[in-house]
Amino acid sequence: MEFTLLWAALSGAIGLYAGLWWMGRRDTSLCVRDLWEIAITAAVVGLAMGRVVAMVRGGVNPLAHPGDLILVRAGVDTAAASIAALITAGWLTRSDRFEQLDGLTPAAVLGIAGWHAGCLFRDACLGTPSSLPWAWSQPGSSITRHPVELYAALLLAIGAWALFRLRLRYPAPGLVSGLGLALAGLARLATEPLRPSLSTGPVWWYGAAIAVGAALAASSLYRAGSSDTESTPPPLQ
Amino acid sequence: MRRIIVTLIVALGVAGCSSGGEVGDVAPLPETSPEAIQQLLTASEQPVVLNVWASWCVPCRSEAPLLRAAHESFGDEVQFIGLDVRDDQDSARAFLNEFDLDGFEHFFDPSGAVQGSLGRGGVPLTMFYAPGGDLVDLHFGVIDERALALNIDEILRRVP
Repeated sequence: MEFTLLWAALSGAIGLYAGLWWMGRRDTSLCVRDLWEIAITAAVVGLAMGRVVAMVRGGVNPLAHPGDLILVRAGVDTAAASIAALITAGWLTRSDRFEQLDGLTPAAVLGIAGWHAGCLFRDACLGTPSSLPWAWSQPGSSITRHPVELYAALLLAIGAWALFRLRLRYPAPGLVSGLGLALAGLARLATEPLRPSLSTGPVWWYGAAIAVGAALAASSLYRAGSSDTESTPPPLQ
Repeated sequence: MRRIIVTLIVALGVAGCSSGGEVGDVAPLPETSPEAIQQLLTASEQPVVLNVWASWCVPCRSEAPLLRAAHESFGDEVQFIGLDVRDDQDSARAFLNEFDLDGFEHFFDPSGAVQGSLGRGGVPLTMFYAPGGDLVDLHFGVIDERALALNIDEILRRVP
C-alpha cells in the first residue's frame, strides 16, 4: 500500500491552514476555524464526486464496487471534483457568501499550491523532456524533464500572495474569489502542455474556469463602482 | 435522512450482489512459463508495458480503465502484456470482459511462478521495458495516469 498521496494531501492541508492562519492574523474579522471547516468539507465532497465520475467514465460501477471509491490514486475527474467543491463551498457560505469566500480563496489557492508541491513526496513532479538547467530526470534515466508540478505550485503560491494583498487593500465582495478561480484555471491551463498524459485532457474546463472567474471579478468591480456612485452625497445647494 | 441512508445501503448491497461475472467472448488465457515471458521480452522490437494483475485484486480493477486508455493511445508503438497471477480462468476472463481489456495479450500464471521469476511480488505491478527486454522502471501498487504516461514516454524514447 502506498501512502505518498496522503503526504501530498497533507502538504496541501498545511498550505491551506498556513494561509488561513496568516490571513486571520491580518484580518481579525475572519473566523479561521469556520473557513477551515468549509474548505475541508468542500475538498472532501469534491474528491468523492471526482472519484465517482472518474469511476463511471472508466466503466466501473460505483454501486457495484463501492470500495473502489477510496482508491483515489486510480483517478479523480478534475472538472467534476472542482465543480462539486465550488458548489459545496458556495452552499456552506450562503449566509455571507462573498465575505467568506474572499477570506477563504487566498488560503485555498495556497493549499492547491501545497498539493502540487507535494509531488516531491510522491516522486511525481516531472513532465515533458527539457534541457533547461533546472530540469531533472527520473532515477535511472538520462532524460531530463520539466518539474511541471513545481511550476504550478510556484505560480499558485505567487498568486495566493497577490490575492492576500488584494483582499486586504481592496475588499470588493467577490473580487478575490473570482480572481482566485481564474488563477486556479490559469495555473492548470499554462502547465498542462508540460504534463505527460494518455490523451488530451479537459483543457477547455480550465479555460471555462478562467472565463467564469474573470466575469465574477469584473461583476464585483462593477457592483463596487455602482455602489460608490450611489453612496456619493448629492452636491450642496 | 435515516431513510435515505438505509435506501443507499440496500441499493449498494443489491448492486454488489448482482455484479455478474460474464466471460463474454473472451478466450481462455494461455498459460505461460518464466522462460517464455523472458523470451517474449527479449525478442520484442517494441517497448513493453507488462501489467501484473488478478481478478480478485481490487486496486487492479481501478487501474484497468487507465491501461485500456493507454493501450488505445499507444498500442501501435508499445506492446502491452497482461500477466494474470494466482487466479482462475473464469474470473480472469470475466474481468477482461468487464473492462474491455482483451484488446491486448494476457497470459495466465496460476502459481505465480512467472511473476516470481521477474523478481517482484504483489499485485498490481506494472513494469516498463525498453526494446530488447531491459527493465526501465517498475511501479508497485495502483498506477496513476501521470506515472503511466511518463513511463511510456520514457520507454518510447529508448527505441533506437
